[in-house]
Amino acid sequence: MGRIRLTGRLVRRDLRRRPGPALLLVLAITAATATLTLGLVLRGVTNQPYQQTRAATNGPDVVAQIAGSGPVRTGPPRGRHLSRHGPPASAPVAHAQIAAEARALTHAPGVSRYSGPFPVASAVVRARGLTADVEAEGRSLTPASVDQPKVTEGTWVSSGGIVLERTFAEALGVGVGDRVRLNGRPFRVAGIAVTAADLPYPNLCYYPGGSCMFDLPGPFASRNVGFAWVTEADARALASAQAPPSYVLDLKLKDPAAAPAFASAHGNRPTPTSPILIPWQAIQSSSGLLVQDEQSVISPGAWLAGLLAIASVAVLAGGRMAERTRRVGLLKAIGGTPETVAVVLLAENLVLALVAAAAGLAIGWLAGPLVASPGAALVGTPGAPAVTLPIVGLVVAMAVVVALASTLAPAIRAARTSTVSALATVSYHAGARSPRRRPRLIALSARLPVPLLLGLRLVARRPRRALLSTASVAVTATGIVAVLAFHATVRLKTVGLANGLNDPVVDRDEQMLLILTVVLVALTVLNAICAAWATVLDARHASALARALGASPQQVTAGIAAAQVLPAVPGALLGIPLGIGLFAVAAQGVGVVVPPVSWLAAAVLGTLAAVAVLAAIPARIGARRPVSPILQAETA
Amino acid sequence: MQQEVILAMLAKEPSHGYELRARLRQALGPLGDAMNDGHVYVTLTRLEKAGLVTSEQAAGLPDRPDRKVYGLTPAGQERVTGWLAEVSWPKPDLAEFHLKLIAAAAAGLADPLTIVDAQRRELLRRLRDAQRVALGEPDGSAAGLLLEGIVLRLQADLRWLEACERNWTPRKDRS
Amino acid sequence: MSDTGASVLRARGLRKEYGQGEGLVRAVDEVDLDVASGETVAVMGPSGCGKSTLLHLLGGLDRPTGGELWLAGQRLDQMGERALARLRRGAVGFVFQAFHLMDELTAVENVELPALLAGQPARAARRRASALLDRVGLADRAAFLPSALSGGQRQRVAIARALVSEPAVVLADEPTGNLDSQATVEVLRLFEDLHEAGQTLIIVTHDSRIAATADRLISMRDGAFIDETRLTGGSTGNLGSLAGLT
Repeated sequence: MGRIRLTGRLVRRDLRRRPGPALLLVLAITAATATLTLGLVLRGVTNQPYQQTRAATNGPDVVAQIAGSGPVRTGPPRGRHLSRHGPPASAPVAHAQIAAEARALTHAPGVSRYSGPFPVASAVVRARGLTADVEAEGRSLTPASVDQPKVTEGTWVSSGGIVLERTFAEALGVGVGDRVRLNGRPFRVAGIAVTAADLPYPNLCYYPGGSCMFDLPGPFASRNVGFAWVTEADARALASAQAPPSYVLDLKLKDPAAAPAFASAHGNRPTPTSPILIPWQAIQSSSGLLVQDEQSVISPGAWLAGLLAIASVAVLAGGRMAERTRRVGLLKAIGGTPETVAVVLLAENLVLALVAAAAGLAIGWLAGPLVASPGAALVGTPGAPAVTLPIVGLVVAMAVVVALASTLAPAIRAARTSTVSALATVSYHAGARSPRRRPRLIALSARLPVPLLLGLRLVARRPRRALLSTASVAVTATGIVAVLAFHATVRLKTVGLANGLNDPVVDRDEQMLLILTVVLVALTVLNAICAAWATVLDARHASALARALGASPQQVTAGIAAAQVLPAVPGALLGIPLGIGLFAVAAQGVGVVVPPVSWLAAAVLGTLAAVAVLAAIPARIGARRPVSPILQAETA
Repeated sequence: MQQEVILAMLAKEPSHGYELRARLRQALGPLGDAMNDGHVYVTLTRLEKAGLVTSEQAAGLPDRPDRKVYGLTPAGQERVTGWLAEVSWPKPDLAEFHLKLIAAAAAGLADPLTIVDAQRRELLRRLRDAQRVALGEPDGSAAGLLLEGIVLRLQADLRWLEACERNWTPRKDRS
Repeated sequence: MSDTGASVLRARGLRKEYGQGEGLVRAVDEVDLDVASGETVAVMGPSGCGKSTLLHLLGGLDRPTGGELWLAGQRLDQMGERALARLRRGAVGFVFQAFHLMDELTAVENVELPALLAGQPARAARRRASALLDRVGLADRAAFLPSALSGGQRQRVAIARALVSEPAVVLADEPTGNLDSQATVEVLRLFEDLHEAGQTLIIVTHDSRIAATADRLISMRDGAFIDETRLTGGSTGNLGSLAGLT
């Protein structure tokens, strides 16, 4: 018991005396734990909301689109050519044929219930100065037994009253009570609803040939058609002789899992009159894309942030080991055993790690709903309960592992050092070990200008720290290049959205990436400052001596900055292939996207410049300190 | 006991024989026990004979050396002045130098610091000479060894002189 | 006073103060100093008297609070950091009590460092460093690390380093403070050689053996010079009497 109290007292005193490095440590681990929490929370948000919507709206197992000559609201276009500027020409289909097809489907084996066929009119909506294509499905006032959209605001359709699908309403920026015009006819927005029978606006699909329902040429398929409901009378009124309505039938199967088989058995033939059948699984996987996107962004991001945090902590721990060693010696001299010493060191870092874990969990918990809302299209949000016990356990474990991993080795080493050598050690070197000697680097540096001479020699003294620098810069560069790759693909996607509406998917992704980039950059800045500070401490004697021998403060500052930049160069260059690879893995199926060379060059140079500047700040402070006290204090 | 020491002790004012003895003892501290009391009076008699010191019998007191009052003659005064300025360094006689300083301070004849500095200077010069010669000797020669001995003793003496200087420095107020 | 024309270093009213008001400490208190070319000057004094601070001021490692300082014809007290660094490269060589050698560099790499910092090409610097190591008698130890050298050898390496840029003056701060008597003799010999070669030396020490090599000895106390002695010219006694021979 007494030992625990002693340990606690020592830890408390240590933290109070030097709150700065402790704070940095907590910040670094918190960034990592917060990102990890977010990632884990998102992972739990997979298909739940879609299922909730399906249950709430009595979502169909199969959506059937029959006849009509207009562009269908989902599914491949009729005919070989895709034209965005008008419906493909095809013969109008007679009512009787439509009825016959509907009957064939509704009486097919396996169908348990159905609603429809509902007429669907293609129209152009004008609202708030914006224009968009919309498909208006005609419904009755009585609820349908299958696919009755759930009204989240306002009321259901009425004569002259239109109900907009939620994502489309958000894209247009209209709410209940606003006035819109469809094909020139005025409508009042009676309500906003969600449905499980269609994709959220703008129906983007990232995976050609994969689980996407479109078969359009090009890497991305997009149909910027919005979705709304009106009364059946209004729907027929909106249709015209040139653009007759198509029809939609919602089917419920006895065995919902058999929907894909049903769809391929009864429709989707390449003939122009074949009905198009879409199983609910296809809609689910496509509608989950929004969240999956976020996941695919957050999860690797969390890993990157975690790695960076480990690197920061390692550098910090290494830098603090300096004062440790002497304190270890003192501890031992007053009677502490090697175990006591190790325990005190580890206990201190454990406390800080737990604080950081708690902070990260709190941030993740608060930010979770904001980040993980599944898109306006679906009912339900993950909410607070998403931070489950397993998540807490995982995050705490990560924080503890990070703290321990980077302090265990030095703690053991410090504990094993004999008291005498520990007390005698610290004079010249901030590190627990004396610097390494690299004859070839020393000889090489002699031929370089003074700042590079100093920088290279500083790097050569601590090869492990240099390696750590390279690794952390590589991690950051990887993240930045992956973000650039994403932006490069976004460029291609947004070609279609010429009508001025926002692409909420892209918006959301960009938001995520912004957050991620901010976190990465913040961690990198932290890392760079920690590394530079550790170098300045370690090089204090060497830089004082260099100045005594004739190096100017500017040269010393430049030397320390060079010592940070030199290992950063391979790291930044390594980040390019790693970042491209990371994006290829995370955004499955897109393939390898190489951002433009100018962007890459800017990223690399920007990173290196940032490293240099961040190093120069503590370096300059150190280089301006008077030389005499440092040289006088260091007596052997 | 050097004659000059006794003379210097009388420089301030005439004093009784026993007073003189007491002062000497006090100045030598624990080493005073080694002092031979009788030696003081013998020296006084000799000095009187040499004309450097006068003696007077206090009225009403028996005619004994310790009761007499001794004072300096002008010749004695001169002798003292010459002695104070001397820097020859005979065999190590720390006691004499030590008493020289005390006497100078007590009588207000000279600043002890000046005496110490002067002696230091002289010893340093001798150290320099000895060192020069010693460095010229080949390693391991017998003469080199002797010279090394001289150098080291001079060094030791110099260290003691530094201590004297520290001791005799009036304490300045630190601002 | 020596001839100003041949004066390598000149200080007038040099001051270094720390703190203020009640806590004001005068580390160096109105020091005047003239050092002629080729002179060896020793500064002695008790510890804490400010002699190390003075030396750092003279070499431009520290900035004086007041007073004037000229070194090799240039005025130091008004110089910027960069100019001071340039000065330290060429005009001043420092020798420290703690040697201050870089542990991971060999002897010759340590010695060539000031030349490299001054921008000299690597080969020329290496050549000069080897020559200097030879001069101090450590040519066979050129590739040794400081940890493999004795204290005296390390200090000799440090002295060689101080000489590499042919400085106008070498400033030595307690050069034998960390050395035993054997090593002290080595350094002593070196100083005598340098003196004979015409190198200007300013040595701060409390070792009287080192002080005895000087032409002039200055005593310092509480930041101020209190005494100056010329040691050139012989002593009053003969060496024989010192040994007990009459």
